[in-house]
This record gives sequence, structure tokens and C-alpha cells, in this order.
Amino acid sequence: MMKNILLAGLAAFWATSALAHSPLDSTTPANEAVVTQMPTEVLIDFKGSIRLTRVSITHADTHRMDMDLGEQTAFMQEFALPMHDMGAGTYVVEWRGLGDDGHALNGTFSFTVE
Amino acid sequence: MPDAFGLAAIITKFALYLGVMTAAGTVIATMMFRLDRTRGLAVAFAVLGLIATALAFSLRGANLTGDLSGMTDPEMLGLLWTTPVGTALLLRLLGLGLLIVGLFMGRVGIWLSVLGGIVAIWSFDHVGHVPGRDTTSLDIALTLHLLAVALWIGVLTPLKRLASSSATYASAADVGHRFGVVATVTVPLLIIAGGYMGYALVGSLAALVGTGYGQALIIKVLLVGLLLGLAAANKLRFIQALRLGDPTAAGHLSKSISIEWLVVLAVLAVTAVLTTNQTLPS
Repeated sequence: MMKNILLAGLAAFWATSALAHSPLDSTTPANEAVVTQMPTEVLIDFKGSIRLTRVSITHADTHRMDMDLGEQTAFMQEFALPMHDMGAGTYVVEWRGLGDDGHALNGTFSFTVE
Repeated sequence: MPDAFGLAAIITKFALYLGVMTAAGTVIATMMFRLDRTRGLAVAFAVLGLIATALAFSLRGANLTGDLSGMTDPEMLGLLWTTPVGTALLLRLLGLGLLIVGLFMGRVGIWLSVLGGIVAIWSFDHVGHVPGRDTTSLDIALTLHLLAVALWIGVLTPLKRLASSSATYASAADVGHRFGVVATVTVPLLIIAGGYMGYALVGSLAALVGTGYGQALIIKVLLVGLLLGLAAANKLRFIQALRLGDPTAAGHLSKSISIEWLVVLAVLAVTAVLTTNQTLPS
């Protein structure tokens, strides 16, 4: 009985829990923005210093590619990631990183090129 | 619901808390109450703590890459090593290592084991929600809270063992009584330190009721309340009766400690959810 209550309780927290920490200050293009021209780079601005570990771009739900982060080897607040033009459609950027306090961070944003 | 990695992280953290707290608590209780035959218990939980420490660190690597490869990726693990997570890993390995070595060093070794246990507990100051706040008073509160919790957990199994054989009923009564005296200081300390941290991290009644973190904290407090009830029954009834030579009290005490253990496991599980999966109210 007690175990069931506990399990139900735990399930409820999971359901209400958000992604740990929301460290993103802003992005350019902004999340869900519609732009007329493909940007040459995407700017990601964090509230604190982070080290990006993985960034992938998915275009129109089909083409997914991992970005080369070879040159990003420091904890920084602002990142400019070069973009490849894959045509019109929605671009989803998924990123993962490590905050300088040791917390793993991740998030997603998207923009649409007309 | 959390993904597979989130779930693995919670289970690993639960094992980490169980291992570190029980190992540290067992050696502290052994020193304080001059207990016998606790080495196997302390070693077993210290080894559990070591395995969980390594696994938890490795899982953080997976968090950075989003797949299993991160668990062994030297670049990711090397990166983690440079952060407070690396410091905590070092302190945990060092602390649990000292704890185990001390157990094989004869009579003076227990001091080394206790030191190791304190170092392992102190490692929790370096990661998680409390260190992020960057305040010394929270660090001190967390350490005191955990030491008091460890002692409580550490005394359970040895006491249950003493209460399970008529030859050691007198020792059970004696250890139970002495722990009861110590607990009049450590348990209020545990509650005050916990209450202070809860207030500092949650901050308002609205956040307590309205956020996942707050709600998990409420469940934790309710469980601890249950634990206090069981402990009070042990202290005021069963140990008292056992001291007066009532042999039936030993059975009650033993059963009560088993239930206490179950509630302790539930408290540690809620804590693992709280520290892994919950965002602090901002």
C-alpha cells in the first residue's frame, strides 16, 4: 500500500519536472523565429559559462548532422556556430553541454527559413 | 517520465547515498558505541558506494554526449574531472578508500575509517543544488545533516543484530540506550539543518506546494516524521523494556528496526529523485 502511494508520488514528480536548469539567455535567430534568408551562423548566448559538448542540426525532420565542435574547447557564454544552407524549412538545433559548476545542460531551439 | 539515462542516474544516486551513508554511519557508530563485528557490513556498503560513485561519474559523461559512448569518452570524462564533479569524485574515492583500509588496520584503524567516512560525506558539499548557492552556512548545514543521518542509519543493523540473540539482549539495550542519548542532540540537529536547507532552497510556501521539488520535499518530510515515530517507540518503549529485562521487547525492537530500514530506503529514494531530477524553484 505504502509502496504504491510512493510510486504514484514519484511518478507525479517526474511528470511535473522540467528539464534541469534553463541556462539559455537568447539565440539568434530566436527560438521559433521565421527568417527569410538562411543565416551564415547561429548565435547561442548562455546565462553562465558552459562548454558545448554536442550540437546537432536537423533540417525539415529529415537531414540530421552533428556540428564539428573541434574549435570550441573552452568554457564560454557566447557561441557562434557556422551553418550550412540546407534550403527552406525548419531547422532544429539540439545542444548539450557542461556548466562550469559540473551540471550537465541540454536544450533545443528551432527556426524556420522561408 | 525521465528517459533511460535519467532513470539510471536516479538509481545510481540512490545506491550512492545508501552506500556512502551506511558505510560512514557504520564506522561512526562502531567507534561511538564500541560495536563488534561490523567490518563486513561497512566494507560491503563502502564497495557499493565506490561502484555507484564510478557509475554516477560515467553516467554524467553520457549526459554530455546524449548516448552511451559518453560513459567511456576520455574527452567527456576529462572535462568533468576539471569541474566540481571531479572534486567530488576524488573525495568519494579517497574517503571510501580510507574507510576500507582503516577497517583492516586493527584498533587505531577505526579512526582512519571515520575520517574516510567524513571525507566521503563531505564530498556532497561539492555537487548538487547546495554548492550552487555558494554559501558556507548551507555547506555546513548539509554536512551536519548528513553526519546525523549517517549515524542513525549506521546504528540500525548492528542494533538489530544484537536484539536478535538472547545472549546480546543486554548489549542491545545498552547500545540502544546510548544511541537514544546521542540522538537527543543529533536528531534535532538533523531536523534544524534540514529545515534550514529546505527554507533556503525552496524559499516560500507557494514554491513548496507548487513545484515538483517542493512536493518531493514534503514527501521526504512526511517519511522522516514516520521515522521519528518509530524511533520514539524504540527509545521510549522497546529499549526501555529491554533494559528492564523483558525479552519480548527484543522481537518488537527488531521488527521496528526492519520497518525503519524500509522507511530509510524510501527517504533515500525520494532524495535521489529530488537531487537528480528536480529543478529548484527560482
